[in-house]
Amino acid sequence: MTTAQVSATAEPSPRLPPCGSWLAVAGFQMRRLLSRQRLLLAALGVVFPAAVMLAVRRTAADGLDRDLAVTMLYALVPEAVCMLGLLVTMCPAVADELERGTWVHVSVRPGGRRALLLGTYLTAVIWTGAVAILAILLALLVARVPQPLPLFGMLSALVVVSCLGRAALFALPAVILPKRALVASVAVALVVEYLAGFIPAVINQATVSLRLRSLLVEWMRWRQQLPVEMQLLVDPQPAVVQLGAVAVLTIAMLAVAVAILEYRQFPPSDEI
Amino acid sequence: MISLTHVTKLYGSVIGVNDVTVELGAGAHGLLGPNGAGKTTLLGLVTGQLRPTMGRVHVCGERPFANPRVLQRIGFCPAADLTERRATPREWVRYLVRLSGYAPHAASARAAAALDRVGLGEAMDRPLATLSKGMRQRAKLAGAMAHDPDLLVLDEPFDGLDPMARHDLVGLVRHWAVSTESASGSTRTLLVASHLLHEVEALHAGLAVILGGRLVASGTAREIRDMVDAMPAELRVRCDQPRRLAEAVCGTTGTESLRFEGDDVLVVATRQPRELAERITRVAVDDRLAIRELVAGDRSLEGIFSRLVRLHRGVAS
Repeated sequence: MTTAQVSATAEPSPRLPPCGSWLAVAGFQMRRLLSRQRLLLAALGVVFPAAVMLAVRRTAADGLDRDLAVTMLYALVPEAVCMLGLLVTMCPAVADELERGTWVHVSVRPGGRRALLLGTYLTAVIWTGAVAILAILLALLVARVPQPLPLFGMLSALVVVSCLGRAALFALPAVILPKRALVASVAVALVVEYLAGFIPAVINQATVSLRLRSLLVEWMRWRQQLPVEMQLLVDPQPAVVQLGAVAVLTIAMLAVAVAILEYRQFPPSDEI
Repeated sequence: MISLTHVTKLYGSVIGVNDVTVELGAGAHGLLGPNGAGKTTLLGLVTGQLRPTMGRVHVCGERPFANPRVLQRIGFCPAADLTERRATPREWVRYLVRLSGYAPHAASARAAAALDRVGLGEAMDRPLATLSKGMRQRAKLAGAMAHDPDLLVLDEPFDGLDPMARHDLVGLVRHWAVSTESASGSTRTLLVASHLLHEVEALHAGLAVILGGRLVASGTAREIRDMVDAMPAELRVRCDQPRRLAEAVCGTTGTESLRFEGDDVLVVATRQPRELAERITRVAVDDRLAIRELVAGDRSLEGIFSRLVRLHRGVAS
């Protein structure tokens, strides 16, 4: 049977739910990530926290303190690895398409712009999340922390929250300043997450870092032990409120990013 | 199918398209113009990538910008080369068809059929990076046609193709335009932008000529030729006594202007080039003038295009 015959006999029903095209983009982007360079970077992301934990464990005479190990793992994985992974995968959402000459093909498809952003978001979350969870697994094995299983569950949950929230945060510079998205995202990460996030005022309520710290403190039952000045840096609300806040932030930021991208115009450069 | 009403597109202070009004119905249409004339901007407006600064753009009766109903009916093949490296044509076209709302199996079948149609059946599983520019051009064309649009918009579609491939694809695109209705039951429309006249002429398309962002002529190739015929044509005569020749022809009916170029060339603008040529021949015989060269304005479509460019720039009379 020739391909033309296949086409004639397989008449489609073109009206699929929009998430069909998001998944198409996610699948396509995932194949792009399966390059030697990207896999090498991912491997580095998996190994680096374990290497740090190994180095610290070797210097500690009586082995690693559990709380210290958790604090280090939190800083290394849900913060550092997730942040770097998302910078690499989410920031070029639009810039890559412009550079490869594929933007114009995607943007003339019905819902193509939205699918591009949300599909890339899914890819960034899945890819970075997988790398970060593997990194936690390896680091916990190396650190030889007592009762590692509950820690693995908790840190994995923090990784998922971090990826969902921060990928949405990086979607904004990706659509507003596509050609300077990486620089803009680093600035956003520093200013929003690590400056505003540590200011004990209303402004830090709109950051993912506050929610992650608060979840860590809540799930590790550290709240009573925290010094008063440190308590200013976490939110006293229960975990469900923190998760709800991240969900609201994520949806709001993605909605704004989609709205901006829907109305972005990229003039043909050869005519201006 | 396509309606532009006093459409202007500005990029800051740069004019992309300037007060264009045009109606294009079903069938094949060519958009002609040199590089930088505003063709790609016009196509960007039609395909919903750009919003007009002023005026109205309607495609299939609706505004195309951010309008999925219209975009569903458009297939677009841009001029820019595809630099996607690792994907194969099959993967690329399937991806585009899926973005048009097709289920994975249907998208695969449509991609394979479209790639077969453009002659990439053998190479559809090779990475795009390993294909020639002409083959990537075919892959782009397949991506534009695979979801069976009502309106196919092609920007410099035959760029980079060898003559045989160009011939094949011209035939393919022409066949697409005149073949039966699309799956949705609508009559098909083809809009091809090019700076090469013979490409558009080969498609038997109606013409719209754009220069400096303005639409300067539209109609069939014949209508444009007639329009240009109504404008003064130039005859360029190289002879030993151009001033004597000028005296003899300045009273001839239809002569609009005369000018000298150097010592031995007379350029005459006339509305009756044939009569003028006969007059020059008679004068040359009677007055024993040595005519070394008599060149009429180019009457091919290429020549007409060149004259429109010059008229627009205020060079021609």
